[in-house]
Formats: sequence, C-alpha cells, structure tokens
Amino acid sequence: MSHIHINFEHVNYSYEKTVPILQDITFTAHENDSIGLIGANGVGKSTLLKLLVGLNPDYEGSIRVEEMPVVKEMLPKVREKIGYVFQDSDSQLFMSTVFEDVAFAPRNYGLPEEEVEKRVNHALKQIHIEHLRDKQIYKMSGGEKKMASIATILAMTPDIILMDEPSIALDPRNRRSLIHILNDFEHLKIIASHDLDMILETCSRVILMSGGCIVCDGDAKEILTNQELLEENGLELPFCLQKPVW
Amino acid sequence: MNKLGNALYEIHHMDMLAAKDQWVNRLHPLVKLVLTIVFLTVTMSFQKYDLTGLLRMGIYPIVLFIVGEISFCDSIRRLRIVLPLVCFVGLFNPIFDRQVIGYIGTVPLTAGMLSMVTLMIKGIYSVLAAYLLIATTSIEKICYALRLLHIPAILVTQVLLTYRYVTVLLEEANRMTQAYSLRAPNQKGVHFKVWGTLAGQLLLRSMDRANEVYESMTLRGYRGEFYYTAKEPCKAKDWLYLGVWLALFAVLKVTG
Repeated sequence: MSHIHINFEHVNYSYEKTVPILQDITFTAHENDSIGLIGANGVGKSTLLKLLVGLNPDYEGSIRVEEMPVVKEMLPKVREKIGYVFQDSDSQLFMSTVFEDVAFAPRNYGLPEEEVEKRVNHALKQIHIEHLRDKQIYKMSGGEKKMASIATILAMTPDIILMDEPSIALDPRNRRSLIHILNDFEHLKIIASHDLDMILETCSRVILMSGGCIVCDGDAKEILTNQELLEENGLELPFCLQKPVW
Repeated sequence: MNKLGNALYEIHHMDMLAAKDQWVNRLHPLVKLVLTIVFLTVTMSFQKYDLTGLLRMGIYPIVLFIVGEISFCDSIRRLRIVLPLVCFVGLFNPIFDRQVIGYIGTVPLTAGMLSMVTLMIKGIYSVLAAYLLIATTSIEKICYALRLLHIPAILVTQVLLTYRYVTVLLEEANRMTQAYSLRAPNQKGVHFKVWGTLAGQLLLRSMDRANEVYESMTLRGYRGEFYYTAKEPCKAKDWLYLGVWLALFAVLKVTG
C-alpha cells in the first residue's frame, strides 16, 4: 500500500454546537484512489473537503494527510500537497490575468521565475487553455474561469486533488476535457459532485453521504447503479443509466 | 448599463489599459513610480505665482498621453468627479489675496487669481500623473515597485487587496440591484425601505466572498507576502528613460 493517504477517524464537525454538520466520519484514502463524494444538497460534502485543507479547523476526531495531522501548525505543509478547486471560480481567481493567477502558487512557494513560467505553461497546456494565458479574468466566461481555476492548482503539482463541483458551468466539450484531465491525473483525487455521470467516468470508489454521515463507501459502479440506495438518499441514477422517457 | 455596471466597466477598462502591449507599459514599474513621485514633488515645489514654470511641467503628462496612446478626452471624462474637487481647493484665493499684479485688457489680474490657477493646475497634474501611472502599469506591478522601495508588505498588500475587493463589492452590489430591479420593474432605483436590508446583505455577502478569496490565497501558499509579478531587473532603456526625465525636470525647475 502506498504511503500517500488521507485518514479520517471519527471526525465530527459543527458550526454551532447544537447543529452537527458532519458526524463520525471515518475513512481512508490511498494514493491513486479516485473517490467521488456524492450526496444531496447540504449533506456536508463541501465541509468535508474544507476540513481536509484546514479551512474549518475546529473539528473533533483526527484527520491526517500523508501522516501529518491537519492542525494549524502543519497547515502550510499539508496545503502544499493538496490542490483544492472551489465551487465558485470567482473565489479562486483574484489576480488580473490567467497567467498571474496560475503563477500565484508557484511564486509563493519560492520557485525561480523560469520554473514558474514552465509550470504555468504546462498547467495551461494540460487543460488546453494556452490561448487564455494573458486573458483578463473578468472577460472570461464561466466555463473558461472554471478551467483556469483547475490550472491554478495543477501548477502546484499537488499529490492530492480536491474538487468541489468541478463540472458546474462547463459546456459539454470542456466537461469532456475535464474528465480526461481527471483520468490522466495519477494521484489521489476526491471529487464532490452531483454530476454522477462524471463521477462514474472518473472515480473507482464512491462515498455516499447523507445527513452529515457516510452512508456507503465502496465501488463506484456498485453504488451508482443501486437505484434504491441512491433514491433513499435524495439522488437518482446517473443519466446514462436512466431509461429514456420518450 | 447601470451605475454599478459602469463603475465595474471603468475599473476593468483601467486594467485593460495597463495590460496593453505598449513601449511605455513595458517599462520597469519602479522607474514609472519614481518618476511619478518626482514629478509630483517638483510640481508641488513651484511657487504659487510661478504659472509659467508650472505650465512647462505639463510636458510630462502630454508626452505620456501620446506615447501611451491614452485618450485625453476619455481620461478627462473618467476624472470628471475628481477634477472639480481638486479645482475647488483654490477657489477662495482671489477673495483673500486681492493685490493687483497686472491687467488682461482692462480686467485686473490679482495675485489671488494667479495662485488659484497654479493651485488648480497642481491639483490637475497630480491627478493626471496618478491616472497615467495606473493606466500604464498594472496594480500588481505598482505594488511590486512599492515593495522595491521597501514600503512595508502589509501596507502594499492592503493596496492590492483593496483594489481587488472593490470589484468584489461592486459585483455583489450589481448582482443584488439587478435581481431587485427585475422584480421591481416599475421602480426607479431602490426603494428607501429596503436600503437597510440591501446594505446588510451586501456587507455579509462581500465578507463571505472576501473570506473565500482569502481562503483560496492561503491554500496556494500565501503567507502575508504577495509575490506580485515576475522579478525583473531595470534594463538600460529604463535607466535611460528615468535619466532623461530627471534631467528634464531639473532643467525645468532650475530655469522656472
């Protein structure tokens, strides 16, 4: 078993003490795992991802990333390993041009400018948006912004990718492109999404959440073809498995 | 486009001007920043009756307008709110300083009138110099130059983030007013009864958004020091540009 992994042990989290958001979350993720995090709205998928990068620090239990506890002192090291794509691209892109934004992380990690340039170009090439390199962020469409957001984390060359609703705002071609990128990424990735078709194509393992708990954790195909289980938890079969209504 | 949309457009337009691939835009930001500071200092140092010397300093903004291919009319239109305020400061000089120093035809010219004009010109030059700096240099590069001048990181980061968050605030306000106007088609503007709610919502939403942007920055290695742009040394052409202007300012000041 590889050394890179994420370990959640009996994690509880709540914004207010009386309203638990996550309850007794326990799972382990290994290198090369591709995990789809699914569940109805408000079950705690985004919160779980944010716990992993220390954005919600006051949790109970234990969270470890590559054997490092996710605590305040370790956050810089933990965050170096993880690329996190926000649900809302406008929150992720804050510099004036795509180049400046994608270069933000490599520059922060003190890389020489030639390496920064190389990383940015490579990240843009990976997702086929080299033509957007010098484009002003405010001029971009929602789909372009999403792709640029993904480039910002690829430039960090992370060991782990976390994505919160990555296919939102993407047109079919960009969505297909994203699926290829995710399938090409060989390290651990966790994707929180309602796009079950994309999860089916990109993930080998699925964690189904409901009411802040993990309901089911197992093989993606088994879970995503289990109509009864999905419907019990506020979901439906992926579109590609549904019978056409016409 | 509504007023908020216009404001956003203006900010984006400034970004676009600064991103142009012009000779003057490619100059080292430190050179442009230093020149702006020197220009302002020299301009301010002219005596209050030295109109001729002051007028000759106009060569700097004129040349920048030309080489930067920046529309003068557009700039004046953009500065239409600031310029009257700047001009206002000298408005009382003719009342307090009534010594006649000459005549234009039969109209007496007082020292107060002259000092009012010089004060206004100084104000206009200052605004134009600052405008020309941001029209030819991106905010990241200006911040980079400020750091090279050893301005504390925390202050420079404030400048950068204020500039960025202004658009965040405006975008949120724009969304809210658009949503409001779509459901209140017969109203002009926002009814005063909902001003409080909208302002509160705007504050909360902007704080949320600002927090998310900050989170995004910390997740990508931000530790309180912004690495604004590629570190670039001053080249020969930058030194030459700086030297020529400094020499010219010296000549204009000495002979003024």
